[in-house]
Amino acid sequence: MSIYEYNGSALIAMAGKECVAIASDTRFGVRNQTVWREAQKIFQINNKTFLGLGGLNTDIWTLKETFRFHHNLYALREERDMSPKVFANLVSHVLYSHRFGPYFVSPIVCGLDDDNVPFLCGTDEIGAQEITHDFIATGTAVESLMGVCETFYKENLEPEDLFETISQCLLAGVDRDCLSGWGAVVHVLTKDGITTRKLKMRQD
Amino acid sequence: MQIEHALRAVNKGGTALGIKASNGVVIVTEKKLPTPLIDESSIEKISVITETIGMVYAGVGPDFRLILRKARRQAELYKLRYHEPIPVSQCAREIANIMQEYTQSGGVRPFGISLLVAGYDHNGPQLYQVDPSGSFWAWKASSIGKNSDNAKTFLEKRYSDSISLEDAINTAILTLKEGFEGEMDENNIEIGIVDENKKFKCLKPSEIADYLNEIGD
Amino acid sequence: MENYEQSFNYENCLRNEELTKQGYEKKKQRKTGTTIAGIIFKDGVVLGADTRATEGYIVADGNCEKIHRISDYIYCCGAGTSADTENTTALISSKLELMRLTTGREPRVQNALTLLKQYLYHYHGYVSAALVLGGVDFKGPHLHMIHPHGSTSTLPFLTMGSGSLAAMAVFEAEYKTDLDEESAKNLVHKAITAGIFNDLGSGGNVDLCVMKFQNTQFFRNFDKPNKRKFSRINAYRFPKGTTQFLEEKVTLLRKNLVIENLDKNNNNNDNDNNDNNDNNDL
Repeated sequence: MSIYEYNGSALIAMAGKECVAIASDTRFGVRNQTVWREAQKIFQINNKTFLGLGGLNTDIWTLKETFRFHHNLYALREERDMSPKVFANLVSHVLYSHRFGPYFVSPIVCGLDDDNVPFLCGTDEIGAQEITHDFIATGTAVESLMGVCETFYKENLEPEDLFETISQCLLAGVDRDCLSGWGAVVHVLTKDGITTRKLKMRQD
Repeated sequence: MQIEHALRAVNKGGTALGIKASNGVVIVTEKKLPTPLIDESSIEKISVITETIGMVYAGVGPDFRLILRKARRQAELYKLRYHEPIPVSQCAREIANIMQEYTQSGGVRPFGISLLVAGYDHNGPQLYQVDPSGSFWAWKASSIGKNSDNAKTFLEKRYSDSISLEDAINTAILTLKEGFEGEMDENNIEIGIVDENKKFKCLKPSEIADYLNEIGD
Repeated sequence: MENYEQSFNYENCLRNEELTKQGYEKKKQRKTGTTIAGIIFKDGVVLGADTRATEGYIVADGNCEKIHRISDYIYCCGAGTSADTENTTALISSKLELMRLTTGREPRVQNALTLLKQYLYHYHGYVSAALVLGGVDFKGPHLHMIHPHGSTSTLPFLTMGSGSLAAMAVFEAEYKTDLDEESAKNLVHKAITAGIFNDLGSGGNVDLCVMKFQNTQFFRNFDKPNKRKFSRINAYRFPKGTTQFLEEKVTLLRKNLVIENLDKNNNNNDNDNNDNNDNNDL
């Protein structure tokens, strides 16, 4: 068994028209035993950047704190927030510094840049970036999530339509994965604000 | 205090001054050599830190080389980490940090140089001055080295917020000319500019000659 | 020459080893499973690469960039673990930039080659980057390949990555000395295409980089032989309200106030503030 399947996770980020959405399941399990149904896997870094972390839960929390630390120091030093792109580079840098003893995570970074253009980026456990313009998925359910995203995704969706699309992708995707599900949360980020919704979904 | 010695060394150094214009920054310095036997073209007082930032010094030349090397290194490390060129304020801060460290560590003396750091970043044109004590400020126009007080008074009279880069270059040369001993030509001054293209460059002697002719007319 | 303290952090190694002992397998890292190639022609060098990145058998990125800039006139194709190729080339590029600034001269290809091989040899192959390095300096065009362990070879035409056999077949059949630029580009294009179609690890598009003395042209997606043959015309559309949710929280972002204008237009800004304040429960 892979260490990535120890806790289970499913995450998607998607770009719309001047908006991005990021969604995750909320199951926290230890192998096949579900322990908690309200685990957090998406973290708000600043007003325009979100970080999603899939993989081993203990590493998720360690790294979340590490990234928050680096971001906040940067914000104080430079008197500005990190753009999502710079944040993604920071994530890569930190992960690559653990090249020979990696953290078992698969992060995705999403956000809006200064011109409110969506930015999406995923990396592997040692920080190799993959920048996309449509959607990105990660976690134990990645295969099925990628499949539904390929069919459901449309370009330039408005925030409300983007919410429906990303939610349906997540709900359909996690149904085919034993290790994720049991609740889901969706954040839609626009230039005006953030809408966070907890989805109603099957609990098996 | 050792810093006072350092400042004295700075005030003996050749005058350097900088002006932040609305669309760029200019730094100029005199390049006085103790004897005409030295090849002027082998000496460079204005240096590039990164593509977007350059700096000039007044004071002890060899001290500047060390700071320059350390500044370039910090700038490259920033770029490796964030994949973005270092902002001028951060570059000035890194340099100031190094200079502060040398006021407090054992076995070393403070740097005998003051710096003018000029660059263009997301906040537009920027001009910083860094002193041997490790303090640094952003300026609209400033001067360091010999006669810097006179030059500052001159700049205060001439400066306006809306000044264009071309006008600033002329003003800078005029200011330098005020306290200049001997005849000014394209070989005994240096000019560095950075404009909206965010590329810092040192002007060639031929380009400097054009500006000098313009002023002479 | 400046040295960076390459600050790899080994604090997780013991834990990870322990987990491996307990039977948790390591995950496959993102590889470039690649076709990269380069040739020397009459006036310079042409480098080529495909654009597929794989994680196991999953295509992780269909259009990634494998030709990395080292300096204005030196470029480098990378195969192997993509994090390694990216970071290694970025580090050497940074070192050469410092060298360029201190010496006031454009770095030579030999400089890049030496730095890369010394770096890779230092890590005994654990930094798994296989590189094709090409560039033109005042001594002429140069083309080298560097294996992950730090050994290098210099040849007029070479290929690397999982698709190297397919690409080399094309070169062996058709390479001639003193090719002109157009035929050189076409030949590399053909070699990369052979990799894309005959090697499973390679795919996507063709990137090319043509370097002549003091002149570099980078052709990102020079050819796209694998465009999707259909588009989603009647894609799924979920009407609003399809997804049921239990809780909703709306956070409005505070608008940035322009402090400069406060003196001039005091009244206007006061009104703006009031409008915003109603929603500002951050």
